[in-house]
Amino acid sequence: MSVFSGLKFRKVYSPIHNLDPRIKFIYVCSIFAVAIMFGELLPLMALFLLQIPFVVVAGVKREWLRSMRGAAFLATFIFLTNFIASYIGAGYVFTAKILETAVAMTLRFIVLVESFSVFFLTTSPDHLGLALEQTHVPYEFVFAFTTAVRFVPVLAEEAETIMDAQKARGLELERGNFLKRIRNYIPVLIPLIVSAIRRSLELAEAMESRAWGATKKRTNLYTLKVHRGDVVLIALTALTLVAAVYARLYLPVPSLSELLKIPS
Amino acid sequence: MEKSEKAISQTKVLAEVIVFAALSAGLYAIRPYSLPYGGSITLGSMVPVMWLALRRGVIAGFIAGAIFGLIALPIDIMLLPYSPITNPIQVFLEYPIAFGALGLAGIIHRRSVAFAIVGVGISIFVKFLLHVIAGVIFWAWSIPQEWNPVVYAIVYNGSFLLPEFIISAILMYILVKKKTLEYAL
Repeated sequence: MSVFSGLKFRKVYSPIHNLDPRIKFIYVCSIFAVAIMFGELLPLMALFLLQIPFVVVAGVKREWLRSMRGAAFLATFIFLTNFIASYIGAGYVFTAKILETAVAMTLRFIVLVESFSVFFLTTSPDHLGLALEQTHVPYEFVFAFTTAVRFVPVLAEEAETIMDAQKARGLELERGNFLKRIRNYIPVLIPLIVSAIRRSLELAEAMESRAWGATKKRTNLYTLKVHRGDVVLIALTALTLVAAVYARLYLPVPSLSELLKIPS
Repeated sequence: MEKSEKAISQTKVLAEVIVFAALSAGLYAIRPYSLPYGGSITLGSMVPVMWLALRRGVIAGFIAGAIFGLIALPIDIMLLPYSPITNPIQVFLEYPIAFGALGLAGIIHRRSVAFAIVGVGISIFVKFLLHVIAGVIFWAWSIPQEWNPVVYAIVYNGSFLLPEFIISAILMYILVKKKTLEYAL
């Protein structure tokens, strides 16, 4: 599951991991907004490079590369569709501009994946839950959400294992007409549901043994406080946003082919 | 101090909500076909949530669906070629609310085959309506000029929700018929 490897969390401590998740979330959202604002190559390249220091400081290079590799297939697809569509749209003429726009669209996608995977790789579900709890979301929802997020890769892995096991027993998932394929999916779905029920019973037992819902008002051992690093990050976020809005409104964003003086 | 039977069964329901929301989200990521601005045919990813709604009622189903929607949002962002977000209200309407609507499958809380299929139909239809409303209001900019926005939204959303409905209905039919709903109740 290449997509989920970007979502998995490894417990490490680094300046990035210790940042307040609320502020990190604002940062991710503003990167997202800036990426949507621009369709040109240069600002998107700047956004891409802006995130690299985070990955390096947090020490999650390996996981990050894996999630990037997972995104590579879709990125190629986006590049090809954009390129071919604008190539045909321009009347079958190849120009540097078409290539650049296609690369920019691909890079926008990569920036989005990058910023989200940096957020998820450096924020533990516990930390995220703590942040939600301190913004006064009811604890039941916070608990349900954070636990569900943790279960997603586990259950997806299990689904694939069951599919492989049934394939090994001779189940053909990729053959037959539409109706037959759906029916063939049943031997995968029923074990999956049964094992999910068993898992939920285990979870309920664990919750009970830890006295779930015994006290109405919960207290936390850890509380989130804004540290110096958070202030730096929020300043960086504000700076990026202001610069992006200013550039969008008042500056003509040059394209790379114009800068390099490639005749189009 | 002894805890009441009711509190224990509530914990059980909450645990099922969590696990089935996660199961739906896991299946959501394994997809054979998806549309550019979101919406995709999956391997029956809505089935676990609707199955839970049939087993535990509308409220449990709604919460599970809303959690599924909140996890589906980052999955969509990572898997789709374009952003599935245009507006904060649209995100709220199309993710937690529209996915939560899947919980309506349990509106006729009776464990028989016919009611299960009606429930699946109702819940996917409400989800469809919510996506169409969001499509007309918030996605108008992406709709080609020569199309009527309402028709376009219906065609766009119908193109993935109709096959999804057929898949879910067949799967649910077999699941209910095999009496999986009574398992470890």
